[in-house]
Amino acid sequence: MTSSHNTPPLVLGIDTGGTFTDAILLDYETRQVLAAHKSLTTKRDLAIGIEKVIDGIQINDPAAIKMVSISTTLATNAIAEGKGKRVGLILIGYDQELVESFKMSERFATPHYFYFAGGHDLYGQEKAPLDLSGILSTVARIQDQVDALAVSAYFSPLNPEHEVRAFEGISSICDLPVVLGHQLSTKLGSIERATTAALNASLLAILQDFVVAVRRAMAHRHIEAPLMVVRGDGTLMSDEFAARTPVETIHSGPAASAIGGRFLSGVEDALVLDVGGTTTDLALIEGGQVNVTEEGATVSGYKTAVEAADLFSIALGGDSHIALGRDRRLSLGPERVTPLAYLAREYPMVEERLQQLAKRTWDRDSAPYLQYWYILRQPQTTGQHNPRQKALLDYLADGPRPVPDILQHMGVLHPAQLGADDLFRREILAKAGLTPTDLLHSEGRFDRWSTRASEAGLIILSRALGLEQADVRAHIWRQATETIVRAVVAFISGIALPPKPPNQPRFGDWVFENSLYHRHPHLDTQFHLRIPIIGIGAPARVFLSDVARILHTELILPEFHQVANAVGAVAGSVMVSEEILVYPQFSTAGLDVIGFYVQTNEGRQLYEENADALQAARRLAAERARGAALRSGAANPQVTVDVLADGLDSYRVRAKAMGNPRLEKN
Amino acid sequence: MDLIRIDTQKAYEQLHTRIVRLQLAPGELIDESQLASELDLSPTAVREAIRLLVHDGLVQVTPRHGLYVAPVSLDDLAQLSEMRVSLEGLCARLASQRASEDELAVLMALRQEHQHPADDDSERLFALDHRFHQAIARAAHNKYLARTLETFFGLSQRLWYLALPEIGTLPAAIARHVELVQAIKAGDADLAERLMQAHVQNFYDEVQAILKHKLA
Repeated sequence: MTSSHNTPPLVLGIDTGGTFTDAILLDYETRQVLAAHKSLTTKRDLAIGIEKVIDGIQINDPAAIKMVSISTTLATNAIAEGKGKRVGLILIGYDQELVESFKMSERFATPHYFYFAGGHDLYGQEKAPLDLSGILSTVARIQDQVDALAVSAYFSPLNPEHEVRAFEGISSICDLPVVLGHQLSTKLGSIERATTAALNASLLAILQDFVVAVRRAMAHRHIEAPLMVVRGDGTLMSDEFAARTPVETIHSGPAASAIGGRFLSGVEDALVLDVGGTTTDLALIEGGQVNVTEEGATVSGYKTAVEAADLFSIALGGDSHIALGRDRRLSLGPERVTPLAYLAREYPMVEERLQQLAKRTWDRDSAPYLQYWYILRQPQTTGQHNPRQKALLDYLADGPRPVPDILQHMGVLHPAQLGADDLFRREILAKAGLTPTDLLHSEGRFDRWSTRASEAGLIILSRALGLEQADVRAHIWRQATETIVRAVVAFISGIALPPKPPNQPRFGDWVFENSLYHRHPHLDTQFHLRIPIIGIGAPARVFLSDVARILHTELILPEFHQVANAVGAVAGSVMVSEEILVYPQFSTAGLDVIGFYVQTNEGRQLYEENADALQAARRLAAERARGAALRSGAANPQVTVDVLADGLDSYRVRAKAMGNPRLEKN
Repeated sequence: MDLIRIDTQKAYEQLHTRIVRLQLAPGELIDESQLASELDLSPTAVREAIRLLVHDGLVQVTPRHGLYVAPVSLDDLAQLSEMRVSLEGLCARLASQRASEDELAVLMALRQEHQHPADDDSERLFALDHRFHQAIARAAHNKYLARTLETFFGLSQRLWYLALPEIGTLPAAIARHVELVQAIKAGDADLAERLMQAHVQNFYDEVQAILKHKLA
């Protein structure tokens, strides 16, 4: 038992999602999931949830664990919530007038940006001398107002000299971390590169703290193994690499789900649908690989130069809020709330109250009482709250209260008047309500929490609508199915169906609806998805059975599909890519090509012949990719080299080194 | 530092700071596992960090009795001062002969900061002094010299903390830098060397006076 020489190598995979943090323990050789555990995600500090989930996994011999790998929404969340650190962006050789006149500066992801002379042209030649003194005096001035610096020079991928010189200078006068644009992307789009550099700089400290926190959680459980982080394309990188390039973790959660789905099902081509608590994410797997967007991931409206999985995400999941609108119409999502079943298990008073309400057969106006607010955690200090917030927290101190009670107690007409948004954002308060998870309880398909509360909730809602419970349930499931099918069609076709104009049927809408409900007596239409759907997440079976039926395809639900996301965190390959640019040198007159440059991060070399330059670039790129993959923990990495034409006589030589994680023997 | 894992780096930084700031006193016994739980980092990380500190000369290993924070003695101080005065002088000389435009721009930027230093913030002044010496070392274009000086600087830093309550002339010493930058910029190797030697020598003289008093 104690010897780890004979035990098979185990790996621990962790996924931090919007609702749950999942962990699995996997036997890497037999691909068997040995243990799985779920705990609630703690957005205010992801490490708490991770510590809990590791605690929940039965680990007999920590020394048998040879790798821990984690996918995290940390970067995506930090950007979405504006929680990144303050960044000073140094722009070298950018045309200020041009940038400002097209309002492109709004895309930089930081309000602190500064223009300086310098930069290179399309041929890698210096456009203007670098204004290093100007940069240094600005840095000296702002160093106490920012947490990190990003530097992006015009055409730096062709010639990074000015970025490198700026880096040397800046790091000689201050201790702020400095991110260079050319190290993150070899693509030439100057705005996206600046955005990527600024985002990366804003996330450095956050991801570093996260990595240290995970390592601490590992240390508490005596796990001493390499730590990997999942990239946005589903491949793995070492924690050290991740701490330097946090932007690469954007979309890593959904990418891990897709990889996990493939790993568990063994299917190489499929549409992966991950039904979570908050969202449903779509990704395509082709030839065993997650489909990647060539043009770069967009996050919270910021267009980056980061290659990530091609994803589509809709705000629909097991914990989407089922609510009755003012027009007495049912809505599903987009808000995520705590299911009543869960709340009632935690607070028996909620179950009692709901059951009482359900018995009032004459009362058709009790639907608002299905919405609860409650205290999620006690704030550390109450000093920062205004009197109204304090009164609200006092009122909720004894347990959850339905919203109408809260309004009455506080003497207001609308929840917006309570100014509680800040308390929700800081996860001090939370909302609960009826959700698809409650429907599953009332239908007897789930029995995790309080079924009685869910049943009562459905009775109250049905009565308010004047409908049979079965009809209400059918209506909600139909709405969920339609929303998902619509997302699948839009994702696969690349064509979104815009909102319907009233009373004006369009052909597209007619086809869509007829394919779902087959209403036309003579003309039938149908969708046929040629690849199977792999369903992931606990509610996948319920949400996706009708979706697959309508799309005339098979629904694959592999064993352990509930935790495929965490499986995906360990199932990816370790990957490193290296790009080298080859571009022509022109004669002084600018007309004749007299040689070819091979440009790496460190410098450039000149070759007379195109073929020699390309050959040198291929060799160099392959060697570097292999070295970096070995260093990142890949076993026996395989290298592929692609040469992409990038304009006249210019090439991007890209080497990718991939290998399974190396699991060290003790 | 890039090659070390992040938690090792954290452990190294925190232990380095603790030793230099005398929270771990000279001569104190080091308990690895206790430190690991105090810092809330893995024992491996702490062990690797300590290995680096041994290399820096801030921690000593005795084969029989384990790990100690390196002690401080007047003898030590004299040896260190001998080494640093001559090497820092050499460094300034080489810098005045070799500094590039960019390196001069860095020195000018640092000089500018010196002109309005916050007198009350002694840690900041010390950091500025450190950067200044590093910038000159870089301008000297000799990596072995730069590396050697960096190690010695770490050792001096601890002496400075020992003397800190009594030392009063840091702003004055830093004012010297302004003249030194002028000399380097003008390419006056003799003057640069002399100014630097005097700057470093003054520091040690003062520390020595204080420590003599303290250790006596």
